Amino acid sequence: MAVTSRPKATRALALSPLESFVLVLLLLLGAMVAVGPALAPDTVYTSDILNALQPPSAEHWLGTDDQGRDVFWRVVVGARATLLSALLVVTLYSMIGVAVATIAAAGPRWLDETLMRITDLGMALPGMIVALGLAAALGASLQSAIIAMSLTGWPITARILRAVIRQTSEAQFVSGAQVLGVSKWRLMTRHVLPNSLDVLIVKWAGDVSTTVLVLAGLSFIGVGAQPPSAEWGAMIAAGRSYVATAWWTVVAPGVAVAVTSIAFGLLGDIIQVRNDPSLREV
Amino acid sequence: MAVRSILRFLLMRLGQTLLTLLGLASLVFLMIKLLPGDEAQMAVGAEASPEQIEAARQRLGLDAPVIVQYLLFLSRLVKGDLGVSTSTFQPVLNDLVAVFPSTLELVSFAMLVNLAVAVPSAIVAANKRGGAFDGSSRFMAVILGGLPVFWLALMLQYLLGTVWRLLPISGHNAYGMAAPVTTGAATLDALLALDWAALGDALRHIALPAVALAALFSTQIFRALRASLLGVLTSDFMMAVRAKGATARRVLLRHAVPNSVTATLALAGTQFGAMVGSSVLIESVFARKGVGAYMFNAVAQKDSFAVLGSVIFIGAVVCIANLIVDLLQLVVDPRVRAAQLGN
Repeated sequence: MAVTSRPKATRALALSPLESFVLVLLLLLGAMVAVGPALAPDTVYTSDILNALQPPSAEHWLGTDDQGRDVFWRVVVGARATLLSALLVVTLYSMIGVAVATIAAAGPRWLDETLMRITDLGMALPGMIVALGLAAALGASLQSAIIAMSLTGWPITARILRAVIRQTSEAQFVSGAQVLGVSKWRLMTRHVLPNSLDVLIVKWAGDVSTTVLVLAGLSFIGVGAQPPSAEWGAMIAAGRSYVATAWWTVVAPGVAVAVTSIAFGLLGDIIQVRNDPSLREV
Repeated sequence: MAVRSILRFLLMRLGQTLLTLLGLASLVFLMIKLLPGDEAQMAVGAEASPEQIEAARQRLGLDAPVIVQYLLFLSRLVKGDLGVSTSTFQPVLNDLVAVFPSTLELVSFAMLVNLAVAVPSAIVAANKRGGAFDGSSRFMAVILGGLPVFWLALMLQYLLGTVWRLLPISGHNAYGMAAPVTTGAATLDALLALDWAALGDALRHIALPAVALAALFSTQIFRALRASLLGVLTSDFMMAVRAKGATARRVLLRHAVPNSVTATLALAGTQFGAMVGSSVLIESVFARKGVGAYMFNAVAQKDSFAVLGSVIFIGAVVCIANLIVDLLQLVVDPRVRAAQLGN
């Protein structure tokens, strides 16, 4: 039967239609982040009141907003604020989560208990509301929102990773290293942790997907990115009063948020299935 | 089961909730200390006289060491003192309690929509795995799960309210339609007054916000219940059920669904708290009263104590909701009972 099946490497690289679609979306987003600001006309931040709220046309593909700025180019430029912030938030809270889980696993029992109780506490509270309060206290800005979300987002990561570390610690190669006299700390950082981080690779894309939504929400409420920033949530907030007469000011940034969130959500599903083919749906 | 083990569980769970609330309070105290500027000034607003600011400084004990301030803060919280709003000039707790029934009303309707859509969809989808309905509903779940809640609210409002004029876009009642206020929840007030026209009107007003709030949560219920049903349907005991000759319908509705439904209800319970939190993204879009709209306005007015008071209030509501869910689960699900009470 091995004769008829295709070589394994090609099969692993072959992309399903869905995977290709997600890849194209992500490349598009990547291009917007990388070269969008360089390509955009320098009028994306300057008012041109005479041209305010123009409907989509050949000149302005997605119309203009209340300040007469081109909505299409603002959405392109805004990719950087939204996407890079979300990636930064997920990176920061994942690092906190890894640190907490590692210290809990390597440290004395009382420290483990204390850290896990704090983690439970963090999971019991409504994350977005606490982040909202923290961002408001720090002074409303994109930086505040990023800090607030990083400080409130880590508990789930820490909780999951702690459980995986516990499993990995029971593996034979770990007791082998232990017998060889490897110190507890070194055992944790050099052997157990690297073999436990798989779980984060599966998790991060889905995390980005939710973070994009929450970040846009915080900007919409007014504790995140501030006008005239082209951050998508802030653009929706700014266009809100004009939705009845100029729907494009709200539709365009909203679709951008949705597409980004959906693309990363699907990427998360794909990584998960590739990591564990038993999850593959018919 | 022994009364003692139940009592021990109750005490432990109650202690956990109190500890979480203490943690929440400490977090908010930290946030107050993070606020830039003079705390006394912030507590009485920008237009206060120097005497008022000095009085606030005395009242809050701001000249005392931080640890004393913290204890004073906690003792004020226990008495229900969340500070005074600098935009409504009312105690924050009074403001929040006054609008909470309206939020509870919205969240209840959203939960109804959520379960009414997600549960049947998940059952039908799991019944014919890989079928057309399964595929299309999973696709819908992916799309709905990626939409920003507040944007979906704006779009529903624009399309169904402004363009097609099917439903009212804001508020709780049409002008002159409101029943006398008894509870603060428009539908309940109308029901209590037996005013059917007012009830219909209130229902029409709550339809869009409830759907907008329910969308994201229904994708979670759909995914969880579908996955759980598929798990049960492929488990060993189902083979026995099929072997004894049960029809496919009976296999699904009599055996698979009851097995999955308690976990789904538990998820719905935790969603309840999250929905109260998400009201901050919905209520203001539809110009509804509620704790979410209150918090939204407080952010816009830079009314710091009202914002942080809302954090405590919503956090407490979530903790208490989770406590109730845990206790309900204990009653409903024998497996949870066995795990928690150890028999």
